[in-house]
Amino acid sequence: MDGPQRHRILMVSDFFYPNFGGVESHIYYLSQCLIKLGHKVVVTTHAYGNRSGVRYMTGGLKVYYIPWRPFLMQNTLPTFYGTLPIIRTILIRERISVVHGHQAFSTLCHEALMHARTMGYKAVFTDHSLYRFADVGSIHMNKVLQFTLADIDQAICVSHTSKENTVLRSGIDPEKVFVIPNAVDTAMFTPAPKRLCYDEIVIVVISRLVYRKGADLLVEVIPEVCRLNPNVRFVIGGDGLKRVRLEEMREKYSLQDRVEMLGAVPHAQVRSVLVSGHIFLNSSLTEAFCIAILEAASCGLLTVSTRVGGVPEVLPDDMIVLAEPTPVDMTRAIKEAIEMLPNINPQAMHDRVKKLYSWQDVAKRTEVVYDRALLCSDVSLLQRLPRYLKCGPWAGKLFCLVMMINFLLWQLLQFWQPSKSIEEVPDILILENEDNEICGKLRMP
Amino acid sequence: MESEAKKSSGKHKWRKVAYGGMQPGYDDNYTDDSFLEGMVMNANVVKRDLFKVMLDSVSISQYLCIAALVVIVWIQTLHSVIDEISLLSLDAGLLGLGFLIILLTTSQLSFHLFLHYLMKISFFISGLYILAPVYHTLTRSISSDSIWALSVSLLLIHLFLHDFSGYTIRPPGAKNNPTLASNISLNASIIASVLIASRLPSRLHVFALMLFSLQVFLFAPLVTFCIKKYSFWLHLWFSFILMSMTLSIIFVMHRMLFVLLLALIVFISIVCPYWLIQIQEYKFEINGPWDEAKLCFEITE
Repeated sequence: MDGPQRHRILMVSDFFYPNFGGVESHIYYLSQCLIKLGHKVVVTTHAYGNRSGVRYMTGGLKVYYIPWRPFLMQNTLPTFYGTLPIIRTILIRERISVVHGHQAFSTLCHEALMHARTMGYKAVFTDHSLYRFADVGSIHMNKVLQFTLADIDQAICVSHTSKENTVLRSGIDPEKVFVIPNAVDTAMFTPAPKRLCYDEIVIVVISRLVYRKGADLLVEVIPEVCRLNPNVRFVIGGDGLKRVRLEEMREKYSLQDRVEMLGAVPHAQVRSVLVSGHIFLNSSLTEAFCIAILEAASCGLLTVSTRVGGVPEVLPDDMIVLAEPTPVDMTRAIKEAIEMLPNINPQAMHDRVKKLYSWQDVAKRTEVVYDRALLCSDVSLLQRLPRYLKCGPWAGKLFCLVMMINFLLWQLLQFWQPSKSIEEVPDILILENEDNEICGKLRMP
Repeated sequence: MESEAKKSSGKHKWRKVAYGGMQPGYDDNYTDDSFLEGMVMNANVVKRDLFKVMLDSVSISQYLCIAALVVIVWIQTLHSVIDEISLLSLDAGLLGLGFLIILLTTSQLSFHLFLHYLMKISFFISGLYILAPVYHTLTRSISSDSIWALSVSLLLIHLFLHDFSGYTIRPPGAKNNPTLASNISLNASIIASVLIASRLPSRLHVFALMLFSLQVFLFAPLVTFCIKKYSFWLHLWFSFILMSMTLSIIFVMHRMLFVLLLALIVFISIVCPYWLIQIQEYKFEINGPWDEAKLCFEITE
């Protein structure tokens, strides 16, 4: 037996450090764990402000900030073929074997996957969010997703509900979609060293205060809960358009001493805010997989959440209380959680989350997906084009045309800038020798 | 042997959960039989009846005929067939007729409200009379071709974006706000009236035609809505009379336009409902646990 195959992975997305978020931390943690397993990972994203060019992060993770400016909500301008030269250069330089794109909303991801398939590389796609079907923006985005997934090798979704949503949106074969959830860095999110006393119950809310995250539900629920339970206090971290409504609610019901608004909480301080509370409240109206709930559970808080999307799959029933997204049911759920509190042991909860979720496990399962992707046979352009014709009577032909032009441009580039003239990068392995010293070892191709 | 039998009988049952890592005995791409069992298709779709859709399309043909009548009056005034005195008497007649219809069909019109309306209308008429000289010289430097082209396009925009089910000018106390599209259509019709009126010879002409056009565009939807609400049969009779009147006037004026209008009315009343019902069978509305939750309460700012 040869031993496990060493993959050379290119992660592509518009969303990466220095931005903070679910997709960004997913890419970072997954890359770090894959490097620890012995694979080579390179990340490609667009330039953030002055941060352009090649940067190295922890563990030798190489990040290409390609010099394209974002134009709308951190997305690069979609030019279809403009990114072909640079993606080709990166793929040849780093001798990539698998291209892994993240997030359906990222234009760079779709373009990179299109170029990767044209040039014959294996492609994997991860979808991180749930989307609708019926409004104009969603219809167009689903069509783009259908184009990308028509010729993808494997796809990954972060929850079973997300898998159903992705399969319906894109028409991909369900056997091609793997369900690998996110995880949480339990070393960073540890419970408070001393257990809090239960005289005053503190309910923590940390989210962006926007419509999608259920800030309007909070406005209805908080006064009711404060009225019914005199010993409850709220701590709200986060900022957004609905913050004004929450401040108004505070004024209207005179809850200034019982509702504390912290404003935007930097990522490094999220843990200290979480461990100051007993219960974590999540009122989102839609979530594919809520990492915030995992972070709260890792810190030993009992979670109360709305039953939407993939949330029921995230935690076992004794660590979360679910409610319908109505004020009445959420008040009932909070009351139930307060009664459950004395039986909760934060340290035991943290240990359980450590066993249930780990990024190493996610990386091992993703490795299986890469192995499966590499087993897919190589197909020529003529064999790939019929896959696009299935997308629709008009769209299918348009997509075929787009891919044919991409192929021709690639041939032109191969003639103009041959692969032999692109210098290949030697691998640098970060090793620890017996004295636990970190040293780098150069490995020539 | 025993342990093997135990293993096969104690096979872990697949659960729809994300925690606990890979479920033993199942790959990550395992698709259970319960896949997509929460999906609901076409939950809110209403099955339509051909005859009812045809009756509903009468509102559209009716408004089309009203717009055609306005255009006929414009053309006749521009060709000096109708003089300003008859225009003014037409305005007064339409105003009286409109008020009568609203009085008869709406039961709750108090005397106070009637006086309120009367005051508003007199302000409107006096304002228009004062501004008539401005409109008279407004487009003097613009060529006639641009005016006709602009008016035609504006009228088309007005017809496309018009709200056929309601009315944009709300009486006081109405609850729903008009939509953006109906506001745009109303503005387009007003601009078209101003452009056409500015081509007329005298200020009195301008005033009379502007008053006529604005009366029709602003208040005709309200009047037709009141008629429809009062009695559906009255609405059908009114539309039928209106359509025949329009068609007969155009028949006298111009044969080809008559054929065009007739074809358009037939298309709207018969072909479109049939087509709508035929393509309804392609409707595919998907709902499921992945939907964004709808709030059950109103957000009061």
